[in-house]
Amino acid sequence: MKRVIAIACAVLAATTLFVACGKKGSNELVIQSYMSDEAPKQAFQALVDDFMKKNPGIKVTVNTTAHEQYKTQLMNYLTAKEAPDVLTWFAGFRMQQYAAKGLLEPIDAVWKDADFPAAFKTASSYNGKVYFMPQSWYWWAVYYNKDVFAKLNLKTPNTWDEFLAVCAALKNAGIEPIAIGAKDTWTAGGWFDYMNVAVNGGAFHQDVTAGKVAYTDPRIVKTFDYIADLAKKGYIMKNAASYSWQEAATLMFDGKAGMYLMGQFIKDVAPADKKDSIDWFKFPIVEGNAAYGVDTPFDGYLVPAKAKNKENALKFMAYLGTKEAQELFCKPLGRLAANQNVPVPNADAQRGLDMMKGAATAMQFYDRDAPEEMAAKGMNAIVEIMGAPDKAAEILAALDKERERIYAELK
Amino acid sequence: MTKVASSRWRAFRAAAFYVTATLLVAVWLLPLVIGVFTSLKSMDEIMANPVMWKPPKALRFENFGEAWNRAGMGRYIVNTFIVTIPSVAGALAVSSLAAFALAFYRFRLNKAVLVLFVAGMLVPFQMLMIPVFRMSNGLGIDDSFGGLILFHISFQLGFCTFFLRNFMKQIPYSQIEAPRIDGASDFTIYARIIMPLALPSIAALAVLEFTWIWNDLLWSLVLLRSDAIKTVTLGLANMQGEFITTYNLTAAGSILAAIAPVAVFLAFQRYFIEGLTMGADKG
Repeated sequence: MKRVIAIACAVLAATTLFVACGKKGSNELVIQSYMSDEAPKQAFQALVDDFMKKNPGIKVTVNTTAHEQYKTQLMNYLTAKEAPDVLTWFAGFRMQQYAAKGLLEPIDAVWKDADFPAAFKTASSYNGKVYFMPQSWYWWAVYYNKDVFAKLNLKTPNTWDEFLAVCAALKNAGIEPIAIGAKDTWTAGGWFDYMNVAVNGGAFHQDVTAGKVAYTDPRIVKTFDYIADLAKKGYIMKNAASYSWQEAATLMFDGKAGMYLMGQFIKDVAPADKKDSIDWFKFPIVEGNAAYGVDTPFDGYLVPAKAKNKENALKFMAYLGTKEAQELFCKPLGRLAANQNVPVPNADAQRGLDMMKGAATAMQFYDRDAPEEMAAKGMNAIVEIMGAPDKAAEILAALDKERERIYAELK
Repeated sequence: MTKVASSRWRAFRAAAFYVTATLLVAVWLLPLVIGVFTSLKSMDEIMANPVMWKPPKALRFENFGEAWNRAGMGRYIVNTFIVTIPSVAGALAVSSLAAFALAFYRFRLNKAVLVLFVAGMLVPFQMLMIPVFRMSNGLGIDDSFGGLILFHISFQLGFCTFFLRNFMKQIPYSQIEAPRIDGASDFTIYARIIMPLALPSIAALAVLEFTWIWNDLLWSLVLLRSDAIKTVTLGLANMQGEFITTYNLTAAGSILAAIAPVAVFLAFQRYFIEGLTMGADKG
């Protein structure tokens, strides 16, 4: 069988060839992106094209990896010998943990204080140095079906008691009061953020995500009592854990569920004829505590310390921060730009911006403020408590054991 | 009387068999049907009507075109061929040599070497993710076709060797001894006697390996970064967004991606059945 030998030789030859061809030149810029959604992908491509037009010497390559898989690969990107030059990522702890390990390049040289709110600088920095260029952000709020509210003559609630009354009215009408697609456990993270800040205040919540407070602390138990109470009263939709967030959103679009604590991107999945019947209100005030918090995660870019073309990377980072680059990206997507000089795209975004400005605490989101593993366990626990509210004490005790282990390993 | 009863019993058994078999086939095919239906619906229809096995209201064949263009399927499929064909050929070439040695040479650690190959199969692949990346990165062969192909060859070696060795073991030893007396070299025996005899099992193995490597997501994800060389599974994964997944396009893309392995399977089907039942009947 000469053929087999021939094939084997061909394989070897081809392999050496491929390996030899794999290397890249130097006047390049390699960007690793998680923007796999069609709209952001195109908006980002427009940005890259504009950058290349302004810097004709630089050849930009954009590699896109699906969001969930990107997260699992980030460590590989950061530690590879020839790391990509620019990475898309999140602000807050999720970025700072890598800065602490020396894996990121400071970008103070291209940072302009006049362009960004102070809160954004804090979440983009570690130890006095800026490592992150914020680009766009969105808000979380309680979304609701206007048609359902109008039919039942309901007003959007401001306080917790009003909120409970709305829930009761919806339930009486045979509509699930609160939609949640808990198959994606992150949907529960929003509940924890908003409930805990509403009950205990923003400073306390920051201590929680920093791992300084036990999950068995009476104050946290109180937060979960509120969530468990909703579950006991049957206000949280049935079989929540078997719906993805998108499937649960469909229930609300169809008027089978009334409200949904969700990010602004929920509007993107609403069918065209339902978009106008979806609106939002601020999370209700608990026990007269008027200082509220908001989840406003923002996305942006960082440069790995091992990046091959650092000079080009910094040039690109400087460009990303400019007013026109941010506008070019955010306008077609209807998102809010991090650069405060960019005009707000529409009235809805203006309301979101006002809510953010009035907030006492701005959070990134549970799974960005807390270590990833902690958040994963925490969000699982919240979903469990929604399903079995009587077991809250046990679930929290188990969660606290995880907290002790996870934060000990971080040190 | 008993004759009638037994023929009735037989009819009943046949009916029961057909009913059960039909049900099983239906259950087996349901996911496929859902996949095809989903690929032909519009996104609004999917979101408005969560019943997945309802036939689409209108057939949207343009989903396939859109999936092809949007996900850049053409390039991904070419890339996957570039990875899969040398990987399968390489794994078979190397492992058939190893299997030949393990089946016919009598040396002291023969069994131990075989056990080593089998043990390699038992290591959970999740454990290998980081070491494989570190090693490839250290050698500078990550993010290239070559690195991925080399990895596939070595990773599949354990199973291929085990499979082929067990097959070759059934070939009578006299098939080795006779040509040896005639003065044939060992390599001639391997290439001219054993390989032709082993062809059915090699073909069966080739089909299996082709499907596995074609459908591999994990190692492409770990080892490839550049869009230009990504494989079709990564292209499909990229159709899932951060928040929004276009189920219809993903389903259409999956069907397109499945064409190649199905074609290979149909082409080699005869060998596949032969190879699997080979040795099942003791002659």
